[in-house]
Amino acid sequence: MMRVMVVDDEPLARDGVRARLASHADMRWVGEAGDGESAIQAIESLQPDLVFMDVQMPGMSGIDALRRVASQTRPLSILLTAYDNFAVAAFEIHALDYLLKPIDDQRFRESLDRARAAFRQRTHDGHVEPPKAWAERFTVRVGQRIAVIEATQVDWIEANDDYAGLHVGSRAYLLREPLHQLAKRLDPNRFLRIHRSTIVRIDRIAELEALSNRDCLLRLHDGTPLRASRTYVDQLHAALAAR
Amino acid sequence: MMRVPAHEQPTGVPLRTSLLAGLPIAMCMGVMALPELGHAYAGEYRAFYAACYLFWIAPLSLLQRAMWQRGVPARISIPLLLLVTYIPSVINNALAQAAAVHWGLVPGYEFHRIFAGLDGCWLALIAFCAIHALLHHHNALQCSRRREAEATALAREAELRALQYQLHPHFLFNTLNSISALVADGRGNDATRMIALLGDLLRATLERSEAREVTLAEELSLTEHYLDIERARLGRRLQVDMRVGPGVLQALVPPLLLQPLVENAIRHGIALRATGGAMNLRIDRDRDALTIELRNDGVPSLEDDHPRDSTSIGLNNVRQRLTALYPGNYTLDFTVAADGACTIRITLPLRLAATTAGPMARTA
Repeated sequence: MMRVMVVDDEPLARDGVRARLASHADMRWVGEAGDGESAIQAIESLQPDLVFMDVQMPGMSGIDALRRVASQTRPLSILLTAYDNFAVAAFEIHALDYLLKPIDDQRFRESLDRARAAFRQRTHDGHVEPPKAWAERFTVRVGQRIAVIEATQVDWIEANDDYAGLHVGSRAYLLREPLHQLAKRLDPNRFLRIHRSTIVRIDRIAELEALSNRDCLLRLHDGTPLRASRTYVDQLHAALAAR
Repeated sequence: MMRVPAHEQPTGVPLRTSLLAGLPIAMCMGVMALPELGHAYAGEYRAFYAACYLFWIAPLSLLQRAMWQRGVPARISIPLLLLVTYIPSVINNALAQAAAVHWGLVPGYEFHRIFAGLDGCWLALIAFCAIHALLHHHNALQCSRRREAEATALAREAELRALQYQLHPHFLFNTLNSISALVADGRGNDATRMIALLGDLLRATLERSEAREVTLAEELSLTEHYLDIERARLGRRLQVDMRVGPGVLQALVPPLLLQPLVENAIRHGIALRATGGAMNLRIDRDRDALTIELRNDGVPSLEDDHPRDSTSIGLNNVRQRLTALYPGNYTLDFTVAADGACTIRITLPLRLAATTAGPMARTA
């Protein structure tokens, strides 16, 4: 169980986060604040495990508020922002993630997954989960027959409503599994989430071009261009540097 | 509408101005002659040199202008001008000596004085060339500044048109309407997703750089943002296949080159088909050119053979901007097959942006 606090100067925005948290049984809403000063007080008295923090608020910014909390008592944080550049500052306060408004549900779920992982690590003090068995093959329906796709054949995967589109060469196969669930079964050493609707096989990446808004554009060996959103770019660089 | 930068005259400075540039030197010669007035024949002597000088600057300025026109480099033009100005000086000296001998002012010819003693005319002619070159340089500078200002104004105009195009209220309100329909239908998850996608597109639009050209990577990214919304709306009816060749992500293209074309392909092609359809985008390099080919399924045209109006408006917008940026240096072909499938082929001069120190550099 994680104790979660929400800080945003707009009540509707707080409600939005709270409503999304409601569907996650392991997240307990413990309080909220509407500005930086009261956020600091609330964090110190409530001691939440996780705080959703809006960056732009009148008076003190969310980042400054987190900075003012002593690092030992500082909760895990997920930043919320509508439109600005603050990646460096987010890095400095060790924010887990940042979400862009309007919030995408899927992206929100993913942030929570990150928070859970970080929380486990914090409470179990570095205890590592036993390695999972990663998906090796997928069965997809092609017309009347069932085809088996090896994970090693897949170039990239695209979200398609409740399906995942597995791209193999010039063909795409629909797998009846939402992308965010499939993502958990894929070997993180081979596959990487680069966008809320895209997963790519790391060794298929041929080129990477940085964009002015800190997103990236990838080109795969087969020529497919794919967008990597800024919230995944750091992991992407880490994964590419690891090879 | 379309303005093409006015071409400066090839020589820049008008001929009259070129000749007037000789006057300051003539005046200097007059001033230099003052202390010697009263000496025997000094006045006549100086007047003769001044007249010679004024006579020679005409062919000299023509020569200089001819060299500028042909773009002769300075390492050739400067020695050549020194030589060319030396010859008239020698001729002057020879004439002056001949006159002096003729009127018995000097006992006989002194050849060393013909080839030396050139201060009278050679320096003056060199000074003329220098002043003339200065004028020309100044003029060229003004012209290039004017051209730059014109190009900037033109780019801004294109930017404005592009902006109007991309924030097309039709698209925005249609998307809002789709969202509203999703909410009314109780499909809250789909609605929030569509809102997030619209947010992304607006963010990408607002974060665009002001540049008159962007990298292909930027343009593809914006097009993808747009495609996300169309995918959400059309679902599996829309099949997109994009392929980009190696080494062209940094190619410079005008902002919003692809997005309006892709929008056309979907709105006036694929979206009209009950079964949906495919769109193929191929971008590659062909020697010094960037080639873009966009093909989409469509519906056979019913009433006439002309492409639909809004299609042509979108195409005209792109064509105008290409003409402004690459006059005479691009191609754009649009063909419609009998079954309504459309193909657009564009070739642009391939120029690559300098490598940017973006997030790549940050990982270090």
